[in-house]
Amino acid sequence: MITNYTKPFTKEESLQHLNIFIREWFEKKYKELTPPQKYSLKLISEQHNLLITAPTGSGKTFSAFITIMSELMDLSLKGKLEEKVYCIYVSPLRALNNDIYKNLSAPLQEIYSQMTLDISKIRVATRTGDTTTKERQQMLAHPPHILVTTPESLAILINSQRFSEHFKGLRYLIIDELHELANNKRGVHLSMSVERLADMIGHDFVRIGLGATLSPLEDAARFLVGYRDNGEERDCYIVDATWDKKMEFIAMSPVNDIVNATDAVIEGSIYKMLNSIIKQNKTTLIFTNTRSGTERVVYNLMKSYKYNEESIAAHHGSLSRDTRLGVEEMLKKGELKCVVSSTSLELGIDIGFIDNVIQLGSPKSVARAVQRFGRSGHGFMDIAKGETIVTNRDDLVECSVMLDAAKKRHLDRFSTPKNALDILSQHIVGMSQTKKWTIDEAYKVIRRAYPYHTLTMDDFMALIFYLSGKYVGLESRRVYGKIWYDENEHTFGRRGKLTKLIYFLNLGAIPDDVAIDVFTTENKWIGNIEEEFMMRLKPGDVFVLGGHRYKFEYSRVMRCIVSDASGEIPTIPPWYSEQLPLTYELAIEIGKFREQLSKELMEYTKSRKLLSLISGKPKKEIGDIRILKDMPIDDKARNAIFRYFMEQLLYTKVIPNDHHMLIEKTKYKEQDRNYIIFHSLYGRRVNDALSRIVAIYLGDRYESEIGVNIVDNGFVVITDSQIDIKKRDIDIFLKEISTVNIREMLKENIKRTEMMKRRFRYCAARGFMVLRNYKGRKISVRKQQINAQLVFKAAEEIDPNFPIIKETYREIFDDVMDLPKAEDILKKMSKDEITYQLIETTVPSPFSHNMITFGEADIIMMKDRRKHIRELHKQVMSKIKRMF
Amino acid sequence: MRIAKGVEALEGLPVLYIEELSAIVCSDLHLGYEGVMADRGTFLPKVNLRNIKKTIKKAIEMTNAERIIIDGDIKNEFSNVHVEEFNEFYEFTKFLREELKLKQIDLIKGNHDNFIDRYEKSSNIKLYRQEASMNGFLFFHGEELPHDKEARFLVMGHLHPAIGVYNKLGIKEKLKCFLYGKMEDGREIVILPAMNYFAEGVDVAMRDLGENSPIFAKMLDVGGMEAICIGEDELLDFGKVSEIAAIGRR
Repeated sequence: MITNYTKPFTKEESLQHLNIFIREWFEKKYKELTPPQKYSLKLISEQHNLLITAPTGSGKTFSAFITIMSELMDLSLKGKLEEKVYCIYVSPLRALNNDIYKNLSAPLQEIYSQMTLDISKIRVATRTGDTTTKERQQMLAHPPHILVTTPESLAILINSQRFSEHFKGLRYLIIDELHELANNKRGVHLSMSVERLADMIGHDFVRIGLGATLSPLEDAARFLVGYRDNGEERDCYIVDATWDKKMEFIAMSPVNDIVNATDAVIEGSIYKMLNSIIKQNKTTLIFTNTRSGTERVVYNLMKSYKYNEESIAAHHGSLSRDTRLGVEEMLKKGELKCVVSSTSLELGIDIGFIDNVIQLGSPKSVARAVQRFGRSGHGFMDIAKGETIVTNRDDLVECSVMLDAAKKRHLDRFSTPKNALDILSQHIVGMSQTKKWTIDEAYKVIRRAYPYHTLTMDDFMALIFYLSGKYVGLESRRVYGKIWYDENEHTFGRRGKLTKLIYFLNLGAIPDDVAIDVFTTENKWIGNIEEEFMMRLKPGDVFVLGGHRYKFEYSRVMRCIVSDASGEIPTIPPWYSEQLPLTYELAIEIGKFREQLSKELMEYTKSRKLLSLISGKPKKEIGDIRILKDMPIDDKARNAIFRYFMEQLLYTKVIPNDHHMLIEKTKYKEQDRNYIIFHSLYGRRVNDALSRIVAIYLGDRYESEIGVNIVDNGFVVITDSQIDIKKRDIDIFLKEISTVNIREMLKENIKRTEMMKRRFRYCAARGFMVLRNYKGRKISVRKQQINAQLVFKAAEEIDPNFPIIKETYREIFDDVMDLPKAEDILKKMSKDEITYQLIETTVPSPFSHNMITFGEADIIMMKDRRKHIRELHKQVMSKIKRMF
Repeated sequence: MRIAKGVEALEGLPVLYIEELSAIVCSDLHLGYEGVMADRGTFLPKVNLRNIKKTIKKAIEMTNAERIIIDGDIKNEFSNVHVEEFNEFYEFTKFLREELKLKQIDLIKGNHDNFIDRYEKSSNIKLYRQEASMNGFLFFHGEELPHDKEARFLVMGHLHPAIGVYNKLGIKEKLKCFLYGKMEDGREIVILPAMNYFAEGVDVAMRDLGENSPIFAKMLDVGGMEAICIGEDELLDFGKVSEIAAIGRR
């Protein structure tokens, strides 16, 4: 059973079970227990599984270790500390592992230095990809009592015949940064390793999960502890100490009028705000969401406010490891005034004292915002402080609602990829190496893991058939088979000498990634884009690279071939793939906010002072609007939201929300095209699926090319000007689509796309169909991609439901997009649970301006785009004025 | 579809039929390809041989030919005969003899067919080391220039010709094609599409073919050739390569 634990233990209750030396040291060192420690010490000493969520600096890692150290000290005093691993600590970050190693070694040193007894000491060691052969040898001879490792290294160790002997006495497993694992395939991989480990040593162990907050916590706990064979979840206590740290945050608008202020004014104001916040604090951490944004902010702060390399630095994934470590080191020493990061500093690496966190633009998720703010305020007694500075009006509404939701503790939901067949392939190969299994026994172990609890026998057997090489003739199984399978006995086991090597050299969930070269059709090199971005491109998409516009034509393995597209409207910004998608839950919160605010605004539409109200300067009346009053935002922001909503309301007479969709037909920039704007506020993953469904349908019906822009707040369908959609057409669409197998329809559509080609490579590599490393030789990503495309072609020919193909579609539909929710929304629309309204505008309505100019968007500043939005806004305003 | 007098391309298949020789002609099978790939760490499901058998069976049913002429590259590896190549080669020739009851199998050696000589006798095939002339037809693989000056009609493989077309979703796909045209000296020539399942082909309208075969430098202008693409169960005449190239570069 999963139990939320909310009553802290007293200090005496917490400390009484501790070893005397540990307790003395602890009490000398710390005056009091931190919030997580008030629960964990006692609960762990009683051998309960435990999930703790708390912000960084709350001592949660130490809260897990202290009881374990105490227990080991007891053993050592009794002379019973043996040569075996008692505790495994797993974190997704190597850098974190080194911190942990230091943070454990130092206290142990201190404790031992005060002891006069000569006892065997508790050993701690890290084991990652960086560990040298010599260190590995030493570990084999004298295993660490506490092993600090990564998910990948753990998977190697459980398959190492000699080392795994040391696990037989394992008592504790700690998984850190659980929020970074529970929502992806790396975590899925780890959860299977854990179940295999427990099965191998023949007994369970205490599982402790640590992380920043995430929702639902019950699912995170299930991910940590898994299930018993009777189908019940294992017991686990949840301690949520996230909110014990006080947080103060606010959304701020750089100017009163984000639309009409010039770029120079907005930009100037943003940097002025940044500078003044940095000045007021000791160390400020700024998140920008993209790598390029990070560099630009650093550059501009240096230029305008005389910061230099000693006072400000950038930290993001594209920088070299050494540069990043250098920045982290400077932070720890407290030397930097400010550090600017894309997302890389979200994780729990020790970065010393941060007293303020600024987010430039929306982090797109409530949980993420809370995590980021949680990085500030060193100790749990300090207040976490932060500001979100917005860059456009949608951003403003989004951030305001997001912070409001954070205040109310409404978090977005994470989800774990379920029944991922590629990851399971790896584990079946791994399992086969250790012993002979019966099918039933293996199936039982696999279903103990949370991500595989609902795995069907059919899917499992399809993998057994694939891995045993059943898809090739008997004589070739020697080469193809990675496990051996006996159909009569229903058993499987090891096959071939090479397989062991394949497992060790290819395991893991993170795909090899590489930059894609962009060439023109005349074979001229333009620059690089990320593969993730390439996946998003469809022929005809226009994007900006190096200041010029290009149209995507086709791809050749690791090349993107484009043609000149000057004068055309960009459809997708190059940082699109880097930008985190708005979550469904936050989108719904925004929808609810829209509904409430529009109700309150109705009475103002009759005000005689209306024009003056929406014309600019903050008005006292706006302060009276209840829903705006309660939000954690500044006056400029309040004023801007009021104007934004009022304009939309006056212009279209309706504010779309989560259960009323506005579908707007319009024109843009006198192009010979029709724009159909779906104000579908369900987050980008849902809109990704929804927009494709609409585009496929229209494309089939009118036998015409349909363009699509997908954003967080909706999507734009672009058709040629002859196609004129009427309400009747939408009703027919909703009716017809309810009888169609949408998954199959999308499969057909996605089969030949870049998304499929490249995602299939990821899955084929994870599923050991296309190796990344063979007999010690690395296979280039280019080669992997060519090979993956061949494999796809062949696998599809023999079985369109081949496990790795099936998994690729699952990954695209369930992890990249959110097809289940999209289907649900269509169903609700056909049943009128979500209503819609079709309107026609001569100039796009205010809520659609950011959608329609999306391709021109740049995260901080983009001159073209702002200009277009200003023009659109001017036209709308003149129309509104004429109404009076 | 009749390509020239007495020469027919079979609808929907990468196979030529020459009535007066009672022979079907095809090339670039690259048998054993998947096995070779598996040995390098890419586990391609085996579909090539299965597909080739299906195609040839269909071609024989359509024509009642008694003979097959393979215009080079029956196998894939340059340096050796891989065990999977031998297995598939053996299975394939057995299939031709026993199931399709073909009376003769001719193989013109291609650049991939090294060491195949070893199996000439045991598999009862007739092997031509450079080229083969029969009744005025000249079969040669294509990595080298043809020698015979007498033949009036030439058949070549090696190139894997294809045409890039955009599908409904605007995504470029390749269609394998026959190329038919006249040499500089006025003789007729057909270039065969690849039989291999994995070979997508070379887009002859977009690519410079000079490196592929010396024939394009000296004896043959590909732009003047007609592309006959293989669709589902039918052949589609796309017209001259130079015209397709002009549309493609618009």
